[in-house]
Amino acid sequence: MNRVDLTGFLTLAKREVLRFVRRPRNTFAPPFITNVLYFSVFGVVLGERVGTVADVPYILFILPGLVVLGAVSNAFENASFSIFHGRWNEYIHEVLTSPLSYAGMVWAYVLSSALRGLLVGGLIAGVGWGIVSALYRPVPVEHPLYLIAFMLVITLLFASLGVVGGLLAEDFDDLTVMNQFILRPLVFFGAVFYSLGDLPPALRQVSLANPMVYMVNGVRYGFLGFAEVDPRLSLAVLAGMTVAAVLLDVWLFERGYGLTD
Amino acid sequence: MTNALEIDGLRKQYGDVEALKGVSLTVPEGAFFGLLGPNGAGKTTFINVLVGLVRASGGDAYVFGNHVEDDYREARDRIGLAPQEFNVDRFFPIHEVLEHKAGYHGVPEDVAAERAERALKRVGIWDKRDTRFDWLSGGMKRRFMLARALVTDPDLLILDEPTAGVDVQLRRDLWELVTELNDDGTTVLLTTHYIEEAERLCDEVAILDSGEVVTVASPEELMDRGNDRIVVTLREAADAVPEAVADDDRIERVELDGDRLVAVARQGGLVAPDLVRALDREGFEIVDLEIRRTSLEEVFVDMTRQGEAVGDGESTDSAPSASAEPVAADASTDGGADDPNPEGER
Repeated sequence: MNRVDLTGFLTLAKREVLRFVRRPRNTFAPPFITNVLYFSVFGVVLGERVGTVADVPYILFILPGLVVLGAVSNAFENASFSIFHGRWNEYIHEVLTSPLSYAGMVWAYVLSSALRGLLVGGLIAGVGWGIVSALYRPVPVEHPLYLIAFMLVITLLFASLGVVGGLLAEDFDDLTVMNQFILRPLVFFGAVFYSLGDLPPALRQVSLANPMVYMVNGVRYGFLGFAEVDPRLSLAVLAGMTVAAVLLDVWLFERGYGLTD
Repeated sequence: MTNALEIDGLRKQYGDVEALKGVSLTVPEGAFFGLLGPNGAGKTTFINVLVGLVRASGGDAYVFGNHVEDDYREARDRIGLAPQEFNVDRFFPIHEVLEHKAGYHGVPEDVAAERAERALKRVGIWDKRDTRFDWLSGGMKRRFMLARALVTDPDLLILDEPTAGVDVQLRRDLWELVTELNDDGTTVLLTTHYIEEAERLCDEVAILDSGEVVTVASPEELMDRGNDRIVVTLREAADAVPEAVADDDRIERVELDGDRLVAVARQGGLVAPDLVRALDREGFEIVDLEIRRTSLEEVFVDMTRQGEAVGDGESTDSAPSASAEPVAADASTDGGADDPNPEGER
């Protein structure tokens, strides 16, 4: 990366980060409130009735899944919204008419969106930690390196997919559809609120086709130290998907998909 | 010296519509070049090919020797674009928008801040630096578009209808500023359908119609191709067109209107002395003589409506077509009125 590209990349990345940092009411307050509600209703109220899952209190069991849910949906939403809004109002032309390389543009959008995912994930972990610690015991982090690796990979993956979403969307409704009808069902059926072991064998096999299962499983392994799928395999598959998604982003930018006539 | 623009057989097809039909042009470095054409002629498509917002279907375009697709980074770094549509980042105050734009072009942060300040002062809206674009007045928005094009210190400044919808004072301010830039060595490519603008500012103009270049010439040359009107007022009305006048091949048409004789001819300034002598020889007493020079606007209308090139042997295929501009260009917003989410609610 030469000086022009580095400066251009850093400028675009800074612009993207400032966009969400300066609007905490729109970017950080909603996941904070939503997750306080999740932990209160699912964790505390229903958790009392559920008891333990895989030998841990239910509220602690769902914490890694809620962190994943918040992190990936915010990473996806940030990239898809930023690109689509720029396309809608055509100010993305400021970037497209610059000498910044297509790869530089993509990395700036992906990394800044992944950062938002990580910050929201950290926020949710903080909320969960506060509630769980107050009610039961401190939240463990059994495998911190795995936790960091999984969080990095899944936020990068969903930021990269968000770039694709932002390029494919034709109007704002398309963004809502992607988030509500694709992303959330996958997360909710991704073993956030239940253990794979509780499912009948046939459904368990079906669930293994859901990539969210591997993400939730991996982050849960990082926090709680147990996994229902081999975390190394999960990490490798997710890292491969992330590389493929970033390459797809660069290819779409080079082709001008959704960006040029 | 490298040309600022070298365009060879540039084509752009949108489905069945051919927006550019093999445009070829050369714009020398340092020129003030005008691109004239009616709506839908392909002017904006042409510009968007240069900056990478439209992919050509065929042909080649070079900016200072850099191919716009193969060497896109070098080509784009030389261009500053002030588009007709307001496509400005609405999340940030305008000084930050300029700093970002400079940064995308590799300008370090501290230098970008200086450049933003200089550009805003130059267009006269420095006191609005902390305002977001949506809150600027229409004239200020137009000034800002120019500031954004200048902040990267371009060698080629492209102005797409820069004075569309602005008042006379602002138009003159912008003309003055752009002329200064051109005097300092910046090549300027101006698209406009204000003919007066091209006549005043441009060294050379290309007339584009239905995606084709009808002609390329200086405004003066173009006006020479139009028909001037030589109006001679006689002491006494003539009964018929004098023979010497009717026999002059250079005169295309003669009309008698009371005591006035009106001869229509190209380069009226050259024909008028002979016409006066001929009338004098035939005993007419001349009390007044006026040569009404053809305007560039009349030449432009002639060329783009009649579908005929004047004088250079080139021809166009038809009268102006339906819009050949890309549909996407029409979808742009002006001031965010159509934006259901202007504040970035996500």
